[in-house]
Amino acid sequence: MTLITILGFILIVIGIWGMLSQSNIIKIIIGFSIVDTGIHLVMVSIGYLKDRTAPILDETVGKAEALARVVDPVPSALVLTAIVIGLAVTALMLAYAVKLHEMKGSLDIHDLKELKW
Amino acid sequence: MVNPIYLFVIALAAGFLLSLIDKAGRSAALTVFYAALAAMAGISAQAFIAILGGAESAMIFTAGFKPPFSINLQMGLEESFFTMIVNVLGLLSGIYLVKKLKTEKVYALVLYLMMIMGLNGLIMTRDLFNLFVFLEITSIATYSLIGIERNIRSLSAGFKYMIAGGLASMFFLIGTIYLYRFTGVLHLDSMAEALDLASGPAVVLAVFTLLISVLIELKPFPANGWALDVYEAADDGLVAVIASASSAAMLFVLYKITPLLNGTLLLAVAGIGLTTFVLSNLMGLMQHSPKRLLGYSSIGQIGLIMGVYALLVHSGAASEPMTLLLVAGGLFINHFIAKAGLFWLAGLVGKDSLEGWHVLRKKPVLVFMFGVFILALVGLPPFPGFFAKWQLVMVFSEKGLTLATVLVLLGSFLEAAYLFRWLGKVLKTEGEGEVKTSFAQGLPLTLSALALIGLGAGFSLWIPGGSGLKILYLPMLLAAALFLLDFLPAWVKNTLVILLMSLYAWQLLPGLEGYRFLFGIIFLAGGVLLLIPGYAFKGKRRGFYPFAVMMYAGLAALLISESTLQLFAAWEIMTLGSYFLIIRGKRSEPHALSYMLFSIGGAFVMLMGLGLLYGVNGQSLALTSLETLTQSAGVIFLLIMLGFLTKIASMGLHIWLPGAHGEAETDVSPMVSAILLKAGMFGLIVLMSAIRRPMIGNVDITYWMSWLGAITVFLGNLLAIYQEDAKRLLAYSSVGNLGYVLFGLSMMTHMGWLTSIAFALNHFLFKALLFLAIGGVVMRVKTKNMYEMGGLIKRMPVSFISVLIGIIALSGVPPLSGYAGKWLTFNILLEKGWYLQGLVLIIGGLIAFLYCFRLIYAVFLGQLKDNHRRVKEAPLPVLIPQIILMIAIMFFSAYPGLVLHPVGDFLLKYFPQGAISWQNNTALTAYGHWDGLAVLIITGVMFASVFALLLITNRKAQKVGQFNIVYAAERPSRPELTHVGYNFFAHYRKALGIFSRPFAVKFWDGVSEFAHSAADLFRKIYSGNGQTYLVHIILFVVVVYAFVTGG
Repeated sequence: MTLITILGFILIVIGIWGMLSQSNIIKIIIGFSIVDTGIHLVMVSIGYLKDRTAPILDETVGKAEALARVVDPVPSALVLTAIVIGLAVTALMLAYAVKLHEMKGSLDIHDLKELKW
Repeated sequence: MVNPIYLFVIALAAGFLLSLIDKAGRSAALTVFYAALAAMAGISAQAFIAILGGAESAMIFTAGFKPPFSINLQMGLEESFFTMIVNVLGLLSGIYLVKKLKTEKVYALVLYLMMIMGLNGLIMTRDLFNLFVFLEITSIATYSLIGIERNIRSLSAGFKYMIAGGLASMFFLIGTIYLYRFTGVLHLDSMAEALDLASGPAVVLAVFTLLISVLIELKPFPANGWALDVYEAADDGLVAVIASASSAAMLFVLYKITPLLNGTLLLAVAGIGLTTFVLSNLMGLMQHSPKRLLGYSSIGQIGLIMGVYALLVHSGAASEPMTLLLVAGGLFINHFIAKAGLFWLAGLVGKDSLEGWHVLRKKPVLVFMFGVFILALVGLPPFPGFFAKWQLVMVFSEKGLTLATVLVLLGSFLEAAYLFRWLGKVLKTEGEGEVKTSFAQGLPLTLSALALIGLGAGFSLWIPGGSGLKILYLPMLLAAALFLLDFLPAWVKNTLVILLMSLYAWQLLPGLEGYRFLFGIIFLAGGVLLLIPGYAFKGKRRGFYPFAVMMYAGLAALLISESTLQLFAAWEIMTLGSYFLIIRGKRSEPHALSYMLFSIGGAFVMLMGLGLLYGVNGQSLALTSLETLTQSAGVIFLLIMLGFLTKIASMGLHIWLPGAHGEAETDVSPMVSAILLKAGMFGLIVLMSAIRRPMIGNVDITYWMSWLGAITVFLGNLLAIYQEDAKRLLAYSSVGNLGYVLFGLSMMTHMGWLTSIAFALNHFLFKALLFLAIGGVVMRVKTKNMYEMGGLIKRMPVSFISVLIGIIALSGVPPLSGYAGKWLTFNILLEKGWYLQGLVLIIGGLIAFLYCFRLIYAVFLGQLKDNHRRVKEAPLPVLIPQIILMIAIMFFSAYPGLVLHPVGDFLLKYFPQGAISWQNNTALTAYGHWDGLAVLIITGVMFASVFALLLITNRKAQKVGQFNIVYAAERPSRPELTHVGYNFFAHYRKALGIFSRPFAVKFWDGVSEFAHSAADLFRKIYSGNGQTYLVHIILFVVVVYAFVTGG
C-alpha cells in the first residue's frame, strides 16, 4: 500500500467523521466531498506503478514497450468519471441544501425529523 | 430483434430534445416522452419474445473492442425480461403521473426518462465500473425527482437518501477499484474467472465492499431508515418506480455479481435478507400511515427475495433454473406488481390513515384491486406469491433449510397480520368520502391487477404438480364470473349458484366413496341447502357469491385432493372465501381478522409439515406418501395436525371462533359452523388414516389428542353457558362439539371413528338448524342478547320447534340423533378404557344441558317483550332449510344404520377390528345394542303418555295473562335485570371460577401485545435523523464484516 493510498483512506475517514459529527448540512456536504476526494486518491494510487510514465503512446513510448513502461490508464479514466459524478452529486446536495433552507429556515440536520419510526 | 442499444439512444435523444420540443407546448413534449417510454418498453418486450423464441442474446461492445477491454452490454433472456418489466412499469407509472407531468417543469420528464434509462443500463451492463455509472445516473435522477416535490417531508427524505446513497457509492467504488487491482479486469464475466477468493483476506474484503454497497441499495435492516422516509414522503407514482423497478434492477445487480461471491458471503446475504424480512414486517405491525406501512412491507419483501435467492444459490437448488424461476422469480414478480399497484392506489386515495382508505368502497372495482394486491402480497392463491411460497417450502425442506423456512413463514405471517388488518378496516370502516379516478390512473391499476391474476394462473401451470390444480379451475372461473355479474340482484345470483352447485355436486358425489361421500353430502348438499336463506336478502348483496363459491370450491376440492399441493391450495381457497363471508357481519372486523390469522398461522404450520413430508419422502407430492413414511412421521403428523386443529377450533386455538361465527350474517353462521368446521375434521381423517401410530419418541400423539378433545368439550360447553349472546352461545357450543369429534378420532379404533363421524353428521344437522333458527330470530328482533328476548314462542312457533329439535339432538338425550353419538361414546370409553378423559367428557356433556335450556328458555319462553309484540315469524327462505333439516334429523335418528353401516364398512379398510355389527336397524356391540327407530318410538310413547297424564290431572290449570304478575318488592336497577335470563348461570361462574377464566384469550392477547411492543421498540431506531441512519449503515457494515470473516 502506498502512501497516497493511505492518505486517501485517511481522507475518507475524516470525511465520514465530518458527516457524522457535523449537524450543519453544508458541513455534511463538505464531509461528503472529502470522502469523495479520498476515494479518488485511492483509485488513482491503485493504478499508479512506480517509475513509469504517462500512458500516452508517442515517440518516447512505442507500442511494443508500452506494457512495460506506462502506468495503468484504466484507474485514471475511472477517476475522471468518478470526479464528474461526484461533482453532480455534490451540486445536487447543495441544491437540496438551498431548498431546505428556503423551506425550513434552518440548515441543521436534526431539524429534518418529520418522518420517523 | 431490434438492437437494444436503441433503448439508450431513444432515451438520450428524447431527453435532449424534450427541452426544445417543450417550447412547442407541453402536449408535444408529453407525446415524445410517452413515445420514448413506449418504444423502450416495446424494444425490450420484443427482445424478450425473440429470445424466448430461440433468438441469440444480443451483445453490445463499445468501440469495436471485445471484453474485457470494452464496456459490454448484454441482452439475454434475463436482461430482456427485467428491462421489459422495468420499462413497462416506467411507462405505466409515467401515464399514472400524467397530471403532474403536465404542470411540472420539463426537467421532470427528462429526469424520469434518465431514471428509466439508468435502470436499463444497470440491468444490461456487464462492466463493473459502467454499473457504477448507471447506478449514479439512476440515483441522481431519482434524487432530483424526489426533490421536485415542493414539500419539506419529501425534501428531507431526499436528502437522507442522498447521504446514504453517497456512502453506498463510496463502498462500490472502493470495492470496484480493488477488484480491478486483484483481477486486472472490470468485465464481470472475466472477473469471475480471474477472481480467487482463497488467495487472501484482501480479496474477500474487496468483494465484500462491493457486495455491501449493493446490499445497502437493497435496504437491509437496520441500514434502511432513509428508504422508509422516501417511501413515505415521495410522490406515489415515483415511489412505485423506486419500490418496484429500482429494486428490481438492484436485485438483478445482485444476481449479476453472484459469481463473485463465496459460500460465506452468500450466507451473509441470506441472513441479512431474512432478518430484514422478519423484522421489518414486525415493525410493520405498528404502522398507521399507509405509505410507511407499504415501505416496511417493501423492504421486507426485498429482503425476502434476496435472502431466498442467496439460499437457493448456496444450497445448489438454483442450478435448476426452473426452481430459481418459480421460487425467487415468483416472489419477485408478485411483489413487483402488487407493490407498484398499492403505491398507485395510495396516490389515488390520498389518505394518511389506514381507516381512511374506506373511501375505496364507493368504487367496488378499486376494492377488488386492493384485495388482489393485498392477497397477492400475503401469498394466497390464486396469485403467484402462493405458488412461489409453496415451492420455496418444498425446496428448502428438501435441502434441510428448516430455520430459513421458519423465518420465511414467520415474516409472512407478520405481514399477513398487518395487511389483513388493513383490508378489514377498508372493508368495514364507516365514513364519508369518495375517490376520484381518471383513465390515466385506472389503466396501470387495472393492468397490474390483471397481470397478477394471469401470472397466478400461469404459475399454477408451471409449478411441479400444478396439473392437479385443474380441479379448482371451473369453480374459480365461476367465482370470477360472479365478480363480473355482481351487479345482478341477489336472487338471480343465488339461483344461479344453487343450480350450478347442485349440478357440480351431482357430477362429483357419485365418484366419492366412504367418508368422502359423507363429507361430500355435508359440504355440497349442505351448501346448497344453506344457500336457500340467501333469498331472504334484498338488493345485490355485493361480494357475497364469489366468495361463497370460493369457499365451496375449496371444500369440494379437498374431497378429491390426491396431492399435498391440491390439498393445500384447496385449503387456502376455502379459507379465503370464508374470510370474506365472515367479515360481512356488522361487527365482524376484529373477529374476521382473528379467524384469518389463526387460519394462516395454522396453514403455515401445516405447510411446514407438508414440506417436511416432501423432503423426507423422496420429493413426492402424493398424499398417499403419508402412508409409507418411515422417518419423522410423528413430527410431520403433529405439524399437519396443528393446521387442522386451528380450523376445528380446539381449546387454545379456539378464540377466533365465537366472534367469527357469532357476528356473521344469518346464513353465513350456519355455513361456517355446520359446514366449514368439518373441513378440519376431514383433514384430520385424511391424515390419521394414513399415519395410524404417530409417535414422537415414546409419546403417542393420539393420547394427548384425546385429552385435548375432552378438555375442549368441557371448556367449550362451560364457556357457552355464560354467553348472553345467543349466537355466541351456539358458537361456543360448536367448540365443545368438535371436541367430541377430536376425542373420537383420537381413539384410533373403528368405533371411535364411527362415533366421530356420527357426531360430525349430527353436528352439521343440528348446528345448521339452530343457527338458522336463531339467525331468523335475530333478523326479526334485531338483537342477539337473549335477555332482550323472551316469549317468542307465540310469535315464532316454527323457529321454536326448530330450536327444540335442535337442542334435543345436540344434548344427546334420546330419542334424537345426538343419542347415537352418546351411545357410541359410552361404548368406545368402555372399549378403550380411557376413563379419566371419559369423566371430563361426560361432565362436559352435562354442562351442555345448561346452555340448551338457557337457549330455549330465554328466547322463546317467559314473557314477551313489549317491542316484540308484532314481530313476525322468520322469513320463508330461512324456514325452508330448517324444515328440511328437521326431517333429516328425524330420519337419521330413526335409521342411523343407513348412514353408519356403510361408513363403518368403509372404515374396515383402516380398522378391521372392532366393527359394529348390524341387524337390520339395530347396532350390536360388545356392550349392548341399540335401535334408533325403537328408541324413537319408545321415547315418543313415554312422552305422549306423561303429557296425556298431565293434561288429565291438571285440568283445572288456568292461563295466566302476561301482566298478571306481581313484582315481589323487587326493584330492578338495570333493564336487563328484569329478565331472569340475564347472567343466567352466574352461580356456576362463581363455583367454577378457575375454569371460566379466559386463559386462551389472555395468552393470545399477550402474544399480540408482545409482538407490538417489540415492534415499537425496534422501530424507535429509525429516529428520523439522517446522521443516525449513517451510523446504522456503518454499524451494519462492521457487523456483517465481522460475520463474514468469522471474527
